[in-house]
Amino acid sequence: MTRADRMLLAVAAALVMVLYGVLWQPGPGREAHILSAAGKPLQLDLDQARTVTIPGRLGPSVVEIDHGRARFVASPCTGKLCIRAGWQQRAGAVAACLPNGVSLSIGGGDRRFDAINF
Amino acid sequence: MGHRDGSERAITASAEDQRIAWLAALAITIHAAETALPTPLPGVKPGLANIITITVLVTYGWGAAAWVTGLRVVAGSLLLGTFLTPTFILSVGGALASLAVLRLAQHLPGAGFSATGYSVAAALAHMGAQFALAWALFIPHPGLIYLLPILLTVALFFGILNGIIAARLVRALTDAAPGHAPP
Repeated sequence: MTRADRMLLAVAAALVMVLYGVLWQPGPGREAHILSAAGKPLQLDLDQARTVTIPGRLGPSVVEIDHGRARFVASPCTGKLCIRAGWQQRAGAVAACLPNGVSLSIGGGDRRFDAINF
Repeated sequence: MGHRDGSERAITASAEDQRIAWLAALAITIHAAETALPTPLPGVKPGLANIITITVLVTYGWGAAAWVTGLRVVAGSLLLGTFLTPTFILSVGGALASLAVLRLAQHLPGAGFSATGYSVAAALAHMGAQFALAWALFIPHPGLIYLLPILLTVALFFGILNGIIAARLVRALTDAAPGHAPP
């Protein structure tokens, strides 16, 4: 390998790193949309930290909003997949408790994709 | 052709023509064998035929490399049945971009690239051009851009790997026929 080779490699590696940084930056969402089978739809600002209790088909689900993100903290379902989905903060991100009929999605900002298929 | 008026010219293959044909055949074989490999993502493949392009570039010059690549793309697509399909268009775009970058890399003042440098430059140009073409012509989807870093990482990795293999080939060729190839 020559010096030019090493310089090219360093530049190429740096370029790829920068691309990851630029393109994969999560687009932060602005509000949480909460839908429930047993109640009215809710739209909450992600900047205001709060905990809300949503009535669902089986019982109350608890959603926590904090520092521009939102998550399920409690739900009367058995699988607890909604809780294990963790914090949602990117626009377009979704967590849902299907047994209880409650879903949480992040809206606003630059809406990105949660999946790409060919 | 057809008129026997004494001015008929016989087509004879020079030693260089034959060499290019051999090398192109080798590149086509590698290219065809590679399509049998499974790929995790569309667009991700090692590009092993570029080993031949880089080896030819370093050993016989850019002109020969352009011939070998051109023949590989056209004859390879005929062999695989992809001639004039989107695959072929992407293949041509990638080949043209990498040949252009290799031409530039050769003439950069003071820059002494070896096989590794050429290979990385060609791999990135190839991937970049294919991505741009695919986006512009076939999948104009804003989500596609998220694949770009992964695709370029793959290109970088295989560019280095192919470059190392090409460097070994160049050394072996130079040892086999000393004085023929530049170091």
